[in-house]
Amino acid sequence: MKTMTNMGRRTFLRGMGTSALALPWMESLAVGGNHFQIPQRAAFYYVPIGVVRKTFFPGEEKSAVQQKFTNDNFDAESTRSNIEVGLHDLQLTPTMKPLKDLKDKVTLITGLDRTFQPGTDVHAQCASCFLSSASPFSLKHTPYPQARSLDHILADEIGTKTPFKTLEFSCNSHKDNKESIQFDNISWYGTEHVAPSMRDPLLAYRRLFKSDERSAYRNITDLVLEDARSLKRDLGYSDQQKFAEYFDSIRAIETQISRLDGMKNELSKVDLDIPMDGKMPRGEYIRLMGDLMVASLQSGLTNVATFMVGPERWDTPYLFESLFDKPKSHHMMSHNQGKFIEDLIKVDHFYMEQFAYLCEKMDRIEEANGKTLLDNIMFTYGSGLGDGSTHQYSALPIIVAGSGGGKFITGKHLNVSSKSGLVKKVGGTYKTPEGGVPLANLWLTQAQAMGVGMDRFADSTGVLPFLMS
Amino acid sequence: MKSKDMPNLRIFFPLMKKGILLCCLTQFLGCLNLWGLGPSLHQTLLQKHCIECHGLDGKVKGKVDLLTYAQGRGDIREDDELLQMVMEVIDFGEMPPEEKDPIPELERGQLVKELKQLLRQAVEGENETARSPIRRMTRLQYANAVEDLLQLKVVLYPLPERMMRDRSGYFKPETGRMPEKMTVSSRPLGKSGLIEPRMDGLAPFPQDLRAEHGYDTQGDHLSLSPLLMEDFFRLGRSIVQSPSFTPKNVGAWADYFAELPEDGDAKLEVRKRLTKLLTHAFRRPVDRSILRKYQAYAEGSLDRGLSLAEVMKESLSAILASPRFLYLYDLQSEDEPDSSRTPNFDLASRLSFFLWGSLPDQELVGLAGSGRLVEEEILVGQVDRMLRDRKLKRFCDSFPTQWLQLDRIISAVPDEKKYKDFYYAAPLYRTTMDMMMEPLLLFETVLIEDRSVLELIDSNYTFRSPRLRKWYGDAPEGKLGGPVSIPFARQFVEDRRHGGVITNGAVMTMTSGPLETKPITRGAWIAGVIFNSPPPPPPAEVPPLPEEKELDESLTLRERFADHRERADCAGCHEKLDPLGFALENFDPVGRWREKYHNGREVDASGILFRTHEFSNLIEFKDAILKEKNRFVRGLAGHLLAFGLGRELNPSDTLALDEIVERVEGENYSMKSLIHAVVQSNPFRGPSGKLALHKTK
Repeated sequence: MKTMTNMGRRTFLRGMGTSALALPWMESLAVGGNHFQIPQRAAFYYVPIGVVRKTFFPGEEKSAVQQKFTNDNFDAESTRSNIEVGLHDLQLTPTMKPLKDLKDKVTLITGLDRTFQPGTDVHAQCASCFLSSASPFSLKHTPYPQARSLDHILADEIGTKTPFKTLEFSCNSHKDNKESIQFDNISWYGTEHVAPSMRDPLLAYRRLFKSDERSAYRNITDLVLEDARSLKRDLGYSDQQKFAEYFDSIRAIETQISRLDGMKNELSKVDLDIPMDGKMPRGEYIRLMGDLMVASLQSGLTNVATFMVGPERWDTPYLFESLFDKPKSHHMMSHNQGKFIEDLIKVDHFYMEQFAYLCEKMDRIEEANGKTLLDNIMFTYGSGLGDGSTHQYSALPIIVAGSGGGKFITGKHLNVSSKSGLVKKVGGTYKTPEGGVPLANLWLTQAQAMGVGMDRFADSTGVLPFLMS
Repeated sequence: MKSKDMPNLRIFFPLMKKGILLCCLTQFLGCLNLWGLGPSLHQTLLQKHCIECHGLDGKVKGKVDLLTYAQGRGDIREDDELLQMVMEVIDFGEMPPEEKDPIPELERGQLVKELKQLLRQAVEGENETARSPIRRMTRLQYANAVEDLLQLKVVLYPLPERMMRDRSGYFKPETGRMPEKMTVSSRPLGKSGLIEPRMDGLAPFPQDLRAEHGYDTQGDHLSLSPLLMEDFFRLGRSIVQSPSFTPKNVGAWADYFAELPEDGDAKLEVRKRLTKLLTHAFRRPVDRSILRKYQAYAEGSLDRGLSLAEVMKESLSAILASPRFLYLYDLQSEDEPDSSRTPNFDLASRLSFFLWGSLPDQELVGLAGSGRLVEEEILVGQVDRMLRDRKLKRFCDSFPTQWLQLDRIISAVPDEKKYKDFYYAAPLYRTTMDMMMEPLLLFETVLIEDRSVLELIDSNYTFRSPRLRKWYGDAPEGKLGGPVSIPFARQFVEDRRHGGVITNGAVMTMTSGPLETKPITRGAWIAGVIFNSPPPPPPAEVPPLPEEKELDESLTLRERFADHRERADCAGCHEKLDPLGFALENFDPVGRWREKYHNGREVDASGILFRTHEFSNLIEFKDAILKEKNRFVRGLAGHLLAFGLGRELNPSDTLALDEIVERVEGENYSMKSLIHAVVQSNPFRGPSGKLALHKTK
């Protein structure tokens, strides 16, 4: 990753804070067509490797640390909080504490489960299928229940007028990844078709805010499209299907070019110093990538974004500067909660601080309807594992910030299942979680709220109750 | 086709050794059965040994239901993936599980044979061989292709995936000989002070990641997105705009970018140059209509007043973004006559991306154009030529590191306190930097010197740096080398514990944790890499091994694992992986030999391979693997084929693997004969492989 010196970094951030975020809303949104309509927007913040339950979930303070557990004797019952289904006052647990100033604008949702489809690595599936629109066991040609992810389905509805239909951000700066793409991506155009993310703040900045170099592509897109058309005629059927990605990519770029041209004036007002090379601490790196995401959502570059704070299962220790004096591996620690519980809680808290930072940033941006960007967006925090230690997909940690322009209630704890929780293994396989509600129900609720006309999303069984205001 | 429920269906096991004594009666009955007279052997044995857990009373362990087939109500040939899995688990001795009655040896051999025959029938019936999907180039292939297209004298951009760098010009495959000494350096772990000269101002697109138990060439991992397409546009432009894009660095400058001679006709010249450039870049003769479009584009630029060189540069940046350059694809359709040129061009590209990681050269394209590349004699000659070309280094830059999964070495971090001497010099360089070269240099030697592939299991020589020699217990004189460049030398190893790609420090360290070895990880490595039979992904919940301190400190690692093995849900994989992993227990987490654990207990490395070959120590373990040498060769052939085809293998490739093993066995297991056999196999030659070619044997 190209990084920057502290000096360059500070200047860069100041630029972001004063100029980019002070963009006059009307001009920037004018691209979208209607001057007076606030666009619908959605963003997703993915935390890898689950969380420590007892400090994250209300009612589980006393739950067992999975200390020396073996499969059969760990205390799954203790992770059941016995909270009634319905809306409750939001109690901020230790891990949620960073959200204290935004308590009225977030909703904790508990009782949501996903179903693991055996046959792939559990980490690979929990990331790559977190937002997937495919039900488990529904696809025959791939071991992953993975199809077009929610962000793209939303963008098909609410992202059709922005230069970028969606934007994908990741804070995995490792150059030498030994893991396959499934561990590292939550955003997918379709089965096996990854939507790669921007990881380098400098390159992302140039791509988003400096459109000059892009116009040089314009005169060759016609030429290569001709090549593509003639090639397509010669390909077999299945190759033609896959080759559609080439046309889609070129068309997306052409759209970007013309729409960014339309925004040139506004974007040129964004006065940013170009970051220099240098080392950047992890927290700053995450916040900087987040700043770019917020600026993109604010300025109308996109209406839909995904943000992955790190890859699943990455074993290489990295330095969480403010937390530890030595590099630590989040994944390795997660396998031994008994020993590393204090450190794991710190990591959870650290990722929540970054989420809170982004929420607060959005909440300082006032938009045309007199509300803030946070009020107008739907910004979802989540992880694909309910517990980093047992690798289960049940009882997931999910927080929705913002009300999607007043569509959702906020400031509450919504529990949707009294039965969701970790489960034991019986006869070698996990018992299917009883009565937990599919995470897909939340995704369906969100999709419907954004105007997507669908009545089923993956294995959803209905919309979530109580959530709509 | 990918497996549905069983991930280990993607794997291929070698033929049973020939010459198993057969019970005449059983064989006779078997024959009768194949003629449909009475229950066949497989039905009888499935009934007796399998359906208790796989079908009877609704019990379907591992979602495998064999009841209908055992009762003759269904034909198992209709589900070739299931058939293959059943055959393999029985062949490998994984099933029936230990606590059940084993299938008697003779019957087992006969059963496997029958299942194999059924599998043959099943896949022969399939009229379609699996095709490699259309896929874009990897980052490494793109760099190689541009370097070849322009004959660059510098590299396009530095690539960490190229793990071992040649610093002394040792790589000379044309000599058929690896030198005794060489200097190398490590890109991912070393000090990057001395990186090779490269084009300035280029930002490569992100590295393509290796598929799980697969390669970065795998088609389903190589898709395109707007973000990546922008990268390609940007890259194409920044190449021609780079200050390093000069006559000095671009070998093909005169062909494409020289200014127009005074009496020249610019439009004629553009046409000539474009024809050559497009043919090379697109790997096929260029269609008139395509040429016309590029020509029109170029002429437009000339009319705008650009110079010939500028016009050619612009055209090049467009060509580099064209799908005909960026994508690897086959054009031949099933019903096309084999004699046409299409399969020849398909084959030329497949061949060159396999062995050179790059575009075919003029000779290959020329032979393809004359329709002769598919001829066996020509093909053999071309492969020989390619194996002697220095571009073979690209194959060595990508296949062996991925086959051996050496990328895992990056995240191997032995405990800094316990293994202090593993780290040296600020800011803590790791000895793994030296370690990873050892198996790579061995692989290159076996390839260049055309030695037996069995040396990859057991060789009486290896390559070591002074630091490695010290690590393994010698006392080398002088400097240890690193972290910028490391001197290596070939050395004779009498001690059979060393030599081969398995027992070196790199593999031993990367399959260990910071403090302890991980026998299961090691076992999974042997199963996946050496036998091409990876275990299914670990279950969702892998409980940590109880730490030493929490238990009786006097236990050995094997004893601490005992609990695991007793659990029914763990036993299946552990039965398969434990013997493979514990055989290596004499190597500690940093690859050094130990007789005892630090609690004083003896290391127990004994076990049984495939429930057939007992061994009591590491050397006997190597012997056991060598007794199963055809399984290893079949595994390696499968790895090469998957790498070359850019797809996972499936049951229809089984026959080809059998044939490859047979050919290689007949040629003393020579590495080059293996490559030849892979190239000549039906899946590699593609639909053209159906041509009735004469076999050399």
